[in-house]
Amino acid sequence: MSAAATQEKSSGSKINLGAFFIEARALVALAIIIVIFASMSDTYLSVGNLVTVAKDVAFNAIIALGMLMVILHSGIDLSVGSTVGLTGAVAGTLFQGLHLPLTDAVMYPSIWVIVVIAVAVGMLVGWVNGLLIARLNLAPFIVTLGMLYVGRGLTQVLLDGTNITNELRGQEELGNTGFFEVFASSPLGVPISAWVMVAVAIAFSIILTRTPFGRWLYAIGSNERAAALSGVPVNQVKTRVYVLTGLCAGIVGMLQIANIRSSTADLGEFYELNAIAAVVIGGAALSGGRGTVRGTIIGAFVIGFLTNGLVIVGVSPFWQTVITGAVIILAVAVDQIQQILQRRQAQARAVAEARRESGKVPVGPGGHEGPPPEQT
Amino acid sequence: MKLKSMAAIATTAIVSVSLTSCGDAGGEGEGGGEIAIITVDPANPYWAAEVSRAEELAEELGYEYSVGAHENDPDEQTRLMETAINNDVDGILLDPAGADESIAIVEQAVDADIPVSLVNAEISETGLAEAQFISDNAQGAAAGAEVWAEAMGYEGTYVELIGEPSDNNAPVRSEGYESVLSQYPDMEKVGEEIANWDRQEGQTAMEQLLSRNPDIDGVISGNDEMALGAVNALDEAGRLDEVEVLGFDGSNDAAEAVADGKLVASVLQPIDEATTQSLEVLDEVIRTGESSVEEEKVALDCILITEENAEDLQDFVLED
Repeated sequence: MSAAATQEKSSGSKINLGAFFIEARALVALAIIIVIFASMSDTYLSVGNLVTVAKDVAFNAIIALGMLMVILHSGIDLSVGSTVGLTGAVAGTLFQGLHLPLTDAVMYPSIWVIVVIAVAVGMLVGWVNGLLIARLNLAPFIVTLGMLYVGRGLTQVLLDGTNITNELRGQEELGNTGFFEVFASSPLGVPISAWVMVAVAIAFSIILTRTPFGRWLYAIGSNERAAALSGVPVNQVKTRVYVLTGLCAGIVGMLQIANIRSSTADLGEFYELNAIAAVVIGGAALSGGRGTVRGTIIGAFVIGFLTNGLVIVGVSPFWQTVITGAVIILAVAVDQIQQILQRRQAQARAVAEARRESGKVPVGPGGHEGPPPEQT
Repeated sequence: MKLKSMAAIATTAIVSVSLTSCGDAGGEGEGGGEIAIITVDPANPYWAAEVSRAEELAEELGYEYSVGAHENDPDEQTRLMETAINNDVDGILLDPAGADESIAIVEQAVDADIPVSLVNAEISETGLAEAQFISDNAQGAAAGAEVWAEAMGYEGTYVELIGEPSDNNAPVRSEGYESVLSQYPDMEKVGEEIANWDRQEGQTAMEQLLSRNPDIDGVISGNDEMALGAVNALDEAGRLDEVEVLGFDGSNDAAEAVADGKLVASVLQPIDEATTQSLEVLDEVIRTGESSVEEEKVALDCILITEENAEDLQDFVLED
């Protein structure tokens, strides 16, 4: 009994230690990147550049937080980039006015209506993904890959070969002005996207650590069958995480069209890959059940500070891509090596313990007094 | 790239479906028959203009037509061309994906007795296509660089935003700029970034370049989208008034930015004229069996878009 309890206890603390190392690793990587580039360039840590970094990181981090939710259940969402483009195109189309059927009337929704509808479209895309994955038990990779094409195609259909630019400004007489004033603003000198990132991070952090939903999500990611048997509403949870990624993509869609002041057909391409990279650098496991909001944000900052630094110090644009990719692989490789080492240590400890146990067996039936001194 | 081309198939399918309904109008002119229009990327306003001009003219000349898009992917181009050859179309209007990469497939169509006429970009072999109407990007870039250098007062520091490196136009335009700017020793390039023709990437790159070189005087960009991204970044940094930006393509957004004084100039490729001429040659060959053009390769001059003519530009057509 007590041996089992000890084991449980020590493995528990090991997990904590492991989690600490994984997060520390991302932090160490971040610190190294910042120190290297700051020593090479004076402007790297200037306020202006930090604002630039914060803005770019925020777009990726918001998407990555949504991606974290699906990765926690061991899923993936490849459609987020297309959803960013699609929600941007929906908003742009609404700014152009809605032709009401059967009449000549054109309706111009106010900006908040536009934003709500566009973000809702993003959530709808996620909901469809979720339903297909949860109810029909389809592979997330395939479903969201398909949705990547559908979303991008619909974006192109909506935009019909043009960019929507001027309409986003709105017109005074139509009452749909003020989009840029809100979604491209910088309250207190910090870009709005960074504020939104903080808000989403806090919200998701609460969801993951303080609600049953969060515990269910980790449980499903660790062992879906066990979770289902213990009464976790697996399908419901799975569907909802995809709605959350759709929500994140919708938010970024709005922020990004305000940022570039135009709704374009290519908007959001490859965002899904940057987001996955941020989540993985942040210590999450693609096999599910492991990952934190804090780690993901740090992961996004690692990528952001790295890509920015490469430009600032003037690395050739061709090599920038190579280096970014190599750092991602390195980060994940270090993570894996660490896990292998930990597993070996755990095995060695288990073997040592087993030896001690077997050594004690002949002494008598006093198994109860086993190794309590080690319980620290 | 793969993903992009798949997305292109999806849109292509949608485009062709919606076209079959209106294609029935064909068969009334002297030409008649069916032509395949194979373009690059109709989601991009530039090629959308090419496609809509080609569709309009094809209908006028009495052809049924289908539209395909290869997104500069030679594999996808081969697939689309083979489909057209298998359908035994009467002619193909092609915007080729790569000068060398496209030779074999054009040859295959010609071997199948299907005339091919090229528009916008060239292939590096003559004697295959009926005609090649291309826009002279090097000339356009040089012309743009000249007015931009004048706006700069022939001095100061600048950065360059470069398009997708795999696209031939990226180096051609960059070298076109360089050919002019290298004559002015007081102009110094202090940085360059690849922004893949994309507005958002252009904006991000510009923000980062501004962090590094806050005092630059000018920006040259391989296309309008990246230039407009740079304009956003400069505007946000409060430096737009002092920095001269040069675009390329003559898109509607850029024309407006030129009229507003945000861009010094843009360069219009004569896509409308090139499409018209190329399709007319194709029509002639289909009807008479031979073309009357003397020179297969025709490089049409690009047109400079400045404050004077920016307001006359709409959808890549300059009203007279």
